[in-house]
Amino acid sequence: MLRVEGLEVAYGDLQVVWGASFEVPGESIVTILGPNGAGKTTTLLALMGLLPVVAGSVTFNGVSLVGVPTHQIVERGLVLIPEERAAFATLTVEENLDLGAYTPRARHSREQKMSEVLELFPRLAERMRQRAGTLSGGERQMLAIGKALMARPEVLILDEPSLGLAPIIVEHTFEAIEKVRDRGVSVLLVEQHVEMALQIADHAYVLDMGSIVADGTSSELSADARVQDAYLSL
Amino acid sequence: MSQLILQSVVSGLLVGGMYGLVALGLALAFGVLKVLNVAHGELLMLGGYTAFFAFTFWGLDPFVSLPLVFVVMFGFGVIVYLTLFRYVTRTEVHTRIKNSLLISFGLVLVLQALAVRFFTADERTISTAYSSEAISIGLVRIPVVRLAGLVVAVVAALLLEWLLNRTRFGRAVRATSEDWTRAALSGVDVNRVYLIAFAISAALAGLAGSMISLGYSVSPNIGLGWTLKALIVVVLAGLGSMRGIIVAGLFLGLTESLAAVWLGGEYREVAALVLFLIVLSIRPQGLFGRAYA
Repeated sequence: MLRVEGLEVAYGDLQVVWGASFEVPGESIVTILGPNGAGKTTTLLALMGLLPVVAGSVTFNGVSLVGVPTHQIVERGLVLIPEERAAFATLTVEENLDLGAYTPRARHSREQKMSEVLELFPRLAERMRQRAGTLSGGERQMLAIGKALMARPEVLILDEPSLGLAPIIVEHTFEAIEKVRDRGVSVLLVEQHVEMALQIADHAYVLDMGSIVADGTSSELSADARVQDAYLSL
Repeated sequence: MSQLILQSVVSGLLVGGMYGLVALGLALAFGVLKVLNVAHGELLMLGGYTAFFAFTFWGLDPFVSLPLVFVVMFGFGVIVYLTLFRYVTRTEVHTRIKNSLLISFGLVLVLQALAVRFFTADERTISTAYSSEAISIGLVRIPVVRLAGLVVAVVAALLLEWLLNRTRFGRAVRATSEDWTRAALSGVDVNRVYLIAFAISAALAGLAGSMISLGYSVSPNIGLGWTLKALIVVVLAGLGSMRGIIVAGLFLGLTESLAAVWLGGEYREVAALVLFLIVLSIRPQGLFGRAYA
């Protein structure tokens, strides 16, 4: 479904990602793990067209995404939930969800998606008229995921969803991610919370210094002592 | 004495409505694109001339030509954005203010010079049959053409608020002004939002120019004066509320007018700047602005 080959990304003269290759097949959860500064967020921003791709290819359902503007990538079904504060603080919960369904493709199914999201996160229904800036951390996370689902993603990309959240809320978030996968949406999960990510992921990659240094099924990586010691123990 | 004060309260509020109307477009461009367009007053000047020439050559009443001025200046805004400001909004948000200052200051000089060349330096005013009419309440006179300017300002602010708060496009505009990256990630075509917001900003300047050529006057060099007032109003009001902009405009007009009566005409501008400094030091987010990190 989503295939990345030999991806190289740079901020101006500073190259951060050096030939990363990975794949997100349909109806699966794939996770990219790795230490701080490994180039995880940079990779995601390049996938979404927010940073220029220096070399390599990104194809989604067989079509190249390199050079495509961000809003059209979203329209095609690749949706990223950015790290922290993914929702707009000055907009109400309802406005945020509406904005999620902004692309022409998602607009038509707005009503249906809205009821799906509210079924998944009933708490949001009580908060519809509140500004997102007034929500608690957990509610904001629900809103971020709900807003992304409104866009009808084929692949949902999450950048460190556990960042800054209480353990119980992280657990809820991961349960929600599994539910999303069960509804037929593929998930690309970038995480530092290694243990939980490996628990729900079908396949995992380890990114370090801008390259993929290990990959395999979650159980393979969990069993690999070398990988565990070098990258995955926090 | 109280007679004089009442009259100056009225004229202060009327000119304040114009300050607010001019500031609406400036605030929209600043809030959404994060550019400071000091040529906003020159867009106003062009709008004023459009209304003036539509009246002189075609006999179009300035209220009839108001939609025409809006459309012409919207189109001019599209051209200015595509030829100049598009290159500013490609840069990082924090470098946009200084880049836009340089570019728009150049635009000020070019548009002023062209206006002198083609329209001459003469002061122009639209004089209609009703231009000298006034509503009298007691001994206070309210010129109808200036009152109409205030009405246009209030209606424009309410329509703009409706657009921003009640429409899909408005939500995209507000999202873009909060964080353009996350707006793009929501599927918003940010460049299109920038283009349309800038064009609306220019069209609003045109409406202001139209009303100014009716109630006051236009000439090639009026721009910077109005831009300065609008800047003060935007800082007074803060970003986030369009009716707040109008209220701040009225407040500025009133302060100037009363300072002129009580302290003398030479203190008009001083009082405005003192007010500006006081608000800036006590409430840097503005009287109606939201303070968010």
